[in-house]
Amino acid sequence: MSVRRTLVAFLACMALASCAREANPPAAATNAPPPAVTYEAHVAAGGIEPTGGVLRNPHAGDAAVAKSGAQLFTAMNCDGCHGAQGSGWVGPNLGDGRWRYGGADAEVFSSIYYGRPKGMPAFGGVLGADGVWTLVTYLRSLPAPGEVPTESWEQP
Amino acid sequence: MRCAFSLASFLCFGIANAWAAGGAATAVDDGQWTMPAKNYAATRYSGLAQINAQNAHALHPLWTFSTGVLTGHEGQPLVVGETMYVVTPWPNVLYAFDLRKEGYPLRWKYRPDVSANALGVACCDAVNRGAFYVDGRIVYNLLDGHTVAVDARSGRELWKTAIADLGSGETVTMAPLVVADHVIVGASGGEFGIYGWLKALDLNTGKTVWTGHNMGPDADMLARPGTFRPPYDGGVDVGATSWAGDSWKTGGAPVWGWISYDPELDLLYYGTGNAAPYDPEVRAGDNKWSASVLARRPGTGELVWAYQFTPHDNWDYDATGAMVLADLTIAGKAVKALVHFDKNGFAYTLDRATGRLLVAAPFAHLNWALSVDLTTGRPVIDPARQTGVSKGKVAGVCPSLEGAVSPASPPAYSPRTRLFYTSTNNLCMDYTAAHATHLRGTPYIGVDSPYHPGPGGNLGAFIAWDAASGRKVWEDKESYPSWSGALVTAGDVAFYGTLDGWFKAVDARSGQMLSKFKVGSGVVGNPIAYRGPDGKEYVAIYAGIGGDWALLAGDTRSDDPTDVRAPADYIKDIARHTSQGGIVWIFGL
Repeated sequence: MSVRRTLVAFLACMALASCAREANPPAAATNAPPPAVTYEAHVAAGGIEPTGGVLRNPHAGDAAVAKSGAQLFTAMNCDGCHGAQGSGWVGPNLGDGRWRYGGADAEVFSSIYYGRPKGMPAFGGVLGADGVWTLVTYLRSLPAPGEVPTESWEQP
Repeated sequence: MRCAFSLASFLCFGIANAWAAGGAATAVDDGQWTMPAKNYAATRYSGLAQINAQNAHALHPLWTFSTGVLTGHEGQPLVVGETMYVVTPWPNVLYAFDLRKEGYPLRWKYRPDVSANALGVACCDAVNRGAFYVDGRIVYNLLDGHTVAVDARSGRELWKTAIADLGSGETVTMAPLVVADHVIVGASGGEFGIYGWLKALDLNTGKTVWTGHNMGPDADMLARPGTFRPPYDGGVDVGATSWAGDSWKTGGAPVWGWISYDPELDLLYYGTGNAAPYDPEVRAGDNKWSASVLARRPGTGELVWAYQFTPHDNWDYDATGAMVLADLTIAGKAVKALVHFDKNGFAYTLDRATGRLLVAAPFAHLNWALSVDLTTGRPVIDPARQTGVSKGKVAGVCPSLEGAVSPASPPAYSPRTRLFYTSTNNLCMDYTAAHATHLRGTPYIGVDSPYHPGPGGNLGAFIAWDAASGRKVWEDKESYPSWSGALVTAGDVAFYGTLDGWFKAVDARSGQMLSKFKVGSGVVGNPIAYRGPDGKEYVAIYAGIGGDWALLAGDTRSDDPTDVRAPADYIKDIARHTSQGGIVWIFGL
């Protein structure tokens, strides 16, 4: 109940912000259900990728949408599993530049929209396509750290 | 005694025998470990004395077994007759080892079908806190919200019951307790805004007998007029009226720790977890009975008394740690006591017949309260440490929300030394509450709470505590937060493990180190002592760091190439000393 009200209010703000900038298609267009997708990270039998629709992030690279996504990341409790700024807790780190299910916009979209095994809930139903794209835009804006692969305790 | 007319005589004997350890130093120990905390009194005291302060320097490892599971290995094995039983974290495999044969080969293993979705609903890690043996059956909980009973001889499943709802954020990590023919269970989910409860299942069928909620109207709580007598803060429907609006419906108060039982008073005791969400301003009031101890009748679930350690929890101070039952002498008077080391940093000694507070003193550094008023039972709170969205960042709150001790790390009590033994943590935090939306099946938290070391230069310790006077007797400092349970034996040796992977034996009277061994992964499990088929005393412990990802920073992991994390700044080098890995260890002379 209050969840839906909060969401409607939040997404309405998003839509207004978008319209005000007049740089993006209206929210209604991006809220359409996504087509089936292929995952680039998978191995294709015979080297032939199956056909599927193409998902395009309508907000790609938009810093204002990324900022809204940061708020949504907290408001939708994403940080409860993935930690503050997606730094990882019981859910994986989302800021290390590495992805279980692929890190392209469309792949991250699918992970959030449909959920994943091991407990990642499907948020498509509650957020709609545009809400999910907002989160994708935020996550893709996180800077990948430089020195994560090697941890050294030796004095140089 | 009470059980004589209601139970088979062998079970009655078992209860009397198991109970005796809590009260008398002279009770004969049968050498087994059939319950999570050794006995109903939850003392984790073994009457075995072959291993003692004189010879413990010669302790060495005799056997190991990889569980094949990498997450946190909390809990403890059981030893029943000539068999050792081990439950792993998710996927909750149950192993039965034949202790009569060289190398302890498996008699059988039981592999339940446990939903992987539970991995994302368990707030902190996929842990399991152990099984219970009763009358030829092993009873334990599965992470995805089921309880199972397994035939202890054949490994065949006898029944499996759904007790919790993953979709609403409930998982099950706690160890059940069986009293007569009732299996007592509860659910985790304080980070998902569940409506916390305790249930009894029929031991023979698995069917639910009663459900008592930890808050809400009296009817939901099984609190009946005349029989529910809290020593402080009573009132009709106080479990609902002490919450703003209907915030009690999503108020958390989970049950993820331990249960104890006094057969003479016929009361079972358990602690409830934090109030949800972490922003206290949306749930004005005491929020009873979150962060509390509740006493119920095992037969009917009827609530008899309750005492709240942290009214209106501002800091995620769960009270799910063990309630240890011991007969103490306080100011010259014999008292049937209940002793509890709380996340909030105070150690409490209560009268377990009435819930009245007798002693409350800090066992670790804290500053959220100044003291606890023994007349009102309430903490005297420092207003500067109150949190909430309107307060912004509240810096330097001690202890951190990891607790001055983790409820997952139960204490031990020796009737010989009359001392309690417990791990402690020395962390503080900056607490910034944020608005959280209750969205079924997702976390309901709303906090940013970076940790930093408390004063003193150590992040943890293992201490001996006099619960009659509220006094620390000795302390062994540890470099890292101390996350294991305690064991103490009639040989006056206390055992615990450390987060950087040492298993240690110390003199129970002085704290002096007797022996230590590096067990391959950090220890968050609980040691047990038992007598093997050869008549010798052994000590068993799990290695396997985990149990709280915030604590571990995640850089102790190496199992997922797509999830690499930087070290946490308060515990930068833990990954230098340990990594994940579940191993069962057995030590002996």
